Amino acid sequence: MKSKISRRRFIQGTLAAGAAAATLPSLSLVAGEVEHSTPSGITYAQNWCEMCFWKCGLTAKVVDGKVAKLEGQKDCPSNFGKLCAKGNSGVFQLYDPDRLQKPLIRTGERGSGQFKEVSWDEAIKYIAEKANALKAKYGPETFTLFAHGSGEHSFVDLIHIMGSPNICIPSYSQCTGSRDIGWALTYGKPVGGKEPVDSENAKCIMLLGRNIAEALHVGELQDFINGCANGAYVIYVDPRYSKTAAKSNKFMMIKPGTDTALLLAMINYILVKEIYNKDFVENYTSGLEELREHVRPYTVKWASEITEIPEKDIIEAAEKLCAAAPHCYIHPGRRLTRYGTDTQFVRAIAILNALMGNWEQPGGIYRPVPLKLDQPHMVHDLERVEADRADGAGTDFPIASTDLGLANKMMQAIAEQKHPLKGMFVYGCNPFHNQGSTETVEKAIKASELIVTCEIYMTDTAWYSDVVLPESTYLERYDPIIITSRKSGYIQYREPAVKPLYDTLGGWEIAARLSKAMGYENHFMDVREYNKEFLDSIGLTEANMKKHGCLVGAEGDPFPVASGAEPEFHTPSGKAELFSSMMSDLGYEALPSYEAPPMPKGDEFRLLFGRLSFHTHARTQNNAWLLALHHSQVELWINSERAKNLGIKNGDDVCIVKGEKKSNPCKAKVVDYIHRDAIFIPHGFGSVSKMLTRVVGVGARDSDFTSDVTDPVSGSAGFHNGFVKVVKA
Amino acid sequence: MKKKYAMAYIVDRCVDCKACMVACKAEWHVPDEDFRTHIDTGKSPDYTDKLRLHFLPHQCNHCDDAPCVTVCPTKASYKREDGIVSINQKICVGCKYCIVSCPYDARFFNHELGVAEKCTFCLPRIAEGLAPACVTTCPGNVRVFGDVNDPKSEISALLRDAAEKHYKVWKLRQDLGTEPNIYYVQK
Ligand code: SF4
Ligand code: SF4
Ligand code: SF4
Repeated sequence: MKSKISRRRFIQGTLAAGAAAATLPSLSLVAGEVEHSTPSGITYAQNWCEMCFWKCGLTAKVVDGKVAKLEGQKDCPSNFGKLCAKGNSGVFQLYDPDRLQKPLIRTGERGSGQFKEVSWDEAIKYIAEKANALKAKYGPETFTLFAHGSGEHSFVDLIHIMGSPNICIPSYSQCTGSRDIGWALTYGKPVGGKEPVDSENAKCIMLLGRNIAEALHVGELQDFINGCANGAYVIYVDPRYSKTAAKSNKFMMIKPGTDTALLLAMINYILVKEIYNKDFVENYTSGLEELREHVRPYTVKWASEITEIPEKDIIEAAEKLCAAAPHCYIHPGRRLTRYGTDTQFVRAIAILNALMGNWEQPGGIYRPVPLKLDQPHMVHDLERVEADRADGAGTDFPIASTDLGLANKMMQAIAEQKHPLKGMFVYGCNPFHNQGSTETVEKAIKASELIVTCEIYMTDTAWYSDVVLPESTYLERYDPIIITSRKSGYIQYREPAVKPLYDTLGGWEIAARLSKAMGYENHFMDVREYNKEFLDSIGLTEANMKKHGCLVGAEGDPFPVASGAEPEFHTPSGKAELFSSMMSDLGYEALPSYEAPPMPKGDEFRLLFGRLSFHTHARTQNNAWLLALHHSQVELWINSERAKNLGIKNGDDVCIVKGEKKSNPCKAKVVDYIHRDAIFIPHGFGSVSKMLTRVVGVGARDSDFTSDVTDPVSGSAGFHNGFVKVVKA
Repeated sequence: MKKKYAMAYIVDRCVDCKACMVACKAEWHVPDEDFRTHIDTGKSPDYTDKLRLHFLPHQCNHCDDAPCVTVCPTKASYKREDGIVSINQKICVGCKYCIVSCPYDARFFNHELGVAEKCTFCLPRIAEGLAPACVTTCPGNVRVFGDVNDPKSEISALLRDAAEKHYKVWKLRQDLGTEPNIYYVQK
């Protein structure tokens, strides 16, 4: 049933939350309003940024039909007027001649880079015929999908129509899966993509490798910097002194792989000293006594030996947090695909937070303010396929999300061919870089009879595909309106700033054409028609959205517990579960233990990788404006003592070696502030696609060297057990 | 009173994200390889307990006694009434004297246009009443721009507050007598 909300009600909804909110000036409902007068030849278009996945609200300034500049929407709660380097470089991406410009069908061997340009009709017909033949031969489950980005639902819906459940959104198994599972087991709900940590009001913040300054999401960074300026005491734990470390009060260089040991000792210390938040723990958590018993062996002394962090620092961290409680938090992390034990690691983080009693407290974990609106469906009469999945989500991994799937296990399943998985669809993501093992991807590609990639660039995965469908960029297309929740709930609007530069289409139109050509009768709505219907239902118009870009529809209290509400947890016990009853029922360890990961031997290093502030995944490396920020150089961080033993000097060209494999050269960054055991490289380099003209062959591709272990609880991947050697180029 | 434009960086807030560099490039079509503003990394000796790395933005200091203006043979480089050091690109002959003379390395040679180039304090933007592009985009809210002769401006308020609270405030290489107009503020 659709709810009809008038514009007045929509706005009132924002005010209904409380008397205090009722005094809000209506201005607060207006984000990103285009204020300046518009001289002739200048127009503005609203959008949200697609350079990463934080979706900052932005306004594009268009001068004489060309996008001149992107600026953040002033009051959009994702970014409050700001854009990062990636966001600013969206202009270069739009006009990059390296973009895919026409549909392509492969003519040479896979990976040869030989394609012919074809019309959309030809490309669509080709895919439809091949796909229908595959379906007839192997059944509908033969299709797999790897999809990520604002348009991902277009292909998700298409694959459902085609009849396959084998749909993967890699942001689960390759990123936040373990985190969200570990958190949900404790608190009854996942962390969510806009981490609800209240940095601004925190008195103490502990980050375990959560590199907020470099894995940069504007809103999260703003909150963090404000928190630092407001005097938060920041404890930063990482084998490497990152840019976030530079903002910390206390940097603790940890031996990589041992974070859980640190947390368990802190939990033990806090329980023994009885400095936890007694009111919260006694009333709203379950399993305190089991926990107390369980962590008894994990002493500070024991942890200090394992983590190489001095005992006094571990104690100090525990005491600082407890002194600040409940106005403190231990960050649940984001990409938690480290050692194959990540769910239990997050459980330890969640438990430590629970001991602080920071649930829905200022400076702790806040409750995102929901904006509940009925949205229309882009595809009419869509029946979602509920059959068993080939990746084991829901079966081998009973609590893994069946909506998001396990991209890691799916790729392995395609490579192994226990089921005939023959038709691979890829939308907006790049398995060659996001999977832990490029060998598995190569095998999967060999085993597939049809590979279709929808992209804006010729990624490494597109390079190995049979058909490459060029998508319009976010600045050239409409997308269905999105609803976002942070400390308020808001809607965001995307409209094209310019017409498509090349022969490209938006994902929804591509999916609709494919569906029709394959003979399915489902009706796909036109995106604009969808937006109109949705806006109508809430009493708004396209003109409202064109003007504001982003509209706040729900204000509310992000700290209901601090305001006197009873904490609520959708767990089996109704409490925050220190001892997880669900894990116990499923046969997993109900309390986290320390399990040492494999360690590097002899002259090996553990390969760590991560983000730079100015690149996203493997998507932005070819952007000349961003490349210029680091002179196209890819740095490999190596500990000074280890480097000396290898005769490596700062600035030397070095390669990563593992067995027969050797990377392209990187520049050695020889520093004493990375742990001896580890090297670090930025993610996303070392592409093989020759149509990424500025970065082909530049730097190392981490996925050639990482591990691909599996977390037994979440089913997610673990990448950081890859051991490598470093040699001079 | 005459305007005197200046900028302050609250350096504790900078994370070296380089958004400022790219926003400036986008706004002014700075050639791909060049930037009008940069971020330096400073080190202090003890990283275990204190900040070891800090991030220090820099750009043209719009000096009151600017060596680039003094050495310019064509008067293409000049100091405006409002304090901005400007380059008239129409009469710049690309001799590069100014580039060499700037002690802050703020200028570069624009190979596409054959002239010297540097930060303009976003002159056309500020004339429209907008903040400079780097200020507008900075996710850290590091950069504060305005008229130091206007006591009501944000920058005047910041500098007053810094003086009252004894924050550390400095400018680059004041020993040179160039009288720069960029303030570094550390809380
Ligand atoms: S954080 Fe940066 S890249 Fe991500 S959405 Fe915001 S501006 Fe875009
Ligand atoms: S945008 Fe701001 S925080 Fe980022 S590097 Fe520039 S001055 Fe520093
Ligand atoms: S003030 Fe304008 S020209 Fe100067 S560095 Fe900032 S954005 Fe560039």
